Amino acid sequence: MRGEDLDRLAAEHVLGLLEGEEAALAERLVDEDEAFAAQVDGWRARFAELDQTARPEQPSAGLWDRIADTLSEAPPTPARPRAAPARDNWVSRLWGDLGFWRATGLAGAAAALLLAVGLGLALQAAARKPVLIAVLMTDANEPAGVVNVLADGRAELRPLRSLDVPAGRVLEIWTLWDRARGPVSLGTLDAARTVPLRLDNLPRTIPNQLFEITLEPAGGSTTGRPTGPILMKGTTSAAL
Amino acid sequence: MSGTFAGAKPSDARDLRDALRGCAAGDRASLRLIYDLESPAMIGVAMRILRRRDLAEEAVHDTFMRVWQKAASFDPARGEARSWLYAVLRHRALNILRGEKRTDQVEDFDTLGLESEDESPEACVARLSDEKALKRCLEQLEPARRNAIVLAYVQGLTHGELAGRLGLPLGTVKSWIRRSLVTLKECMA
Repeated sequence: MRGEDLDRLAAEHVLGLLEGEEAALAERLVDEDEAFAAQVDGWRARFAELDQTARPEQPSAGLWDRIADTLSEAPPTPARPRAAPARDNWVSRLWGDLGFWRATGLAGAAAALLLAVGLGLALQAAARKPVLIAVLMTDANEPAGVVNVLADGRAELRPLRSLDVPAGRVLEIWTLWDRARGPVSLGTLDAARTVPLRLDNLPRTIPNQLFEITLEPAGGSTTGRPTGPILMKGTTSAAL
Repeated sequence: MSGTFAGAKPSDARDLRDALRGCAAGDRASLRLIYDLESPAMIGVAMRILRRRDLAEEAVHDTFMRVWQKAASFDPARGEARSWLYAVLRHRALNILRGEKRTDQVEDFDTLGLESEDESPEACVARLSDEKALKRCLEQLEPARRNAIVLAYVQGLTHGELAGRLGLPLGTVKSWIRRSLVTLKECMA
């Protein structure tokens, strides 16, 4: 896509005009393409004044209480130092979502899972210890899988739920550590199951590295980039 | 009617920025301050997109959750606090709009045609500040094309919905929008 088309896409994304593939493409580019995200910021700023033309309406009396109640269930995610500039992208969105998720009822089950993984592995050689863990979340903010990266560099994907894979489609696993290079495929799967991930040929996995699973045509994406909807995604955090 | 409804005083902009910083530090009073300053305008923005009070309040509720969790990711170097807040709100409202398919609301669109004059694209443009570029530049567009841009933004219509609303072929609407965007960008540069 040429530069002017990307700018047009950014503007139409901000206007809310996009649907289907173009909408998915714009959402993806906001996450993964620094230049596109900046174009989106530019168009938001141009149109922002239109938001002030809406007729204000008093919220219903209970709205703040509902917000406060939900907050009490979901304490804030502490600010954390970031090497990269803070960006309103999905990385930070996801970070927020993790904070939310940690505080929900799923936290117990998920913590138990992480604990079990951690304890089990602690009994084995130090090389088997997971040093990085990514919890992959669905669009609906539900944990759907875990990527464990072990101290010896090996990694595994453990799904937490089954996924519907239509005939003629496959799940494709991607990782992204460098926006300039873009997402790299780690392979395809016919169904959600625990698999080792081959990271041998890639640079060492780092904190905040993205893992995501998309739905692709049988045989995997033909473009070398994700083309289908993202089923789950998450970034690595260092394990204690 | 002229003049914006929402408070656009410079002090508010600074208050909002400080309040976001407070949220990032876990200060709930800061979130309440944002609620007090902005929630009526936020409900208004969400109502234009969702047209149902319960859905609009859901969008605002979810936006405050996101603000609380994401305040640390707000970067003043990348834009105004208010743009950021309303980008979060619009994103959530559009997702609700697209997600719910709104079978009941499709009818609304037919019968509504007709939102009150107060909500017309002309009224929105009239409320923009004479001092700022957006109004001047929108006014350089042919009225029908200007209305298409404003309708798309304030009501969150897709290309297809916009074509239906305006009774025009999809290709015509897309090319109107594209050319208008080029004109607007040049004008606002």
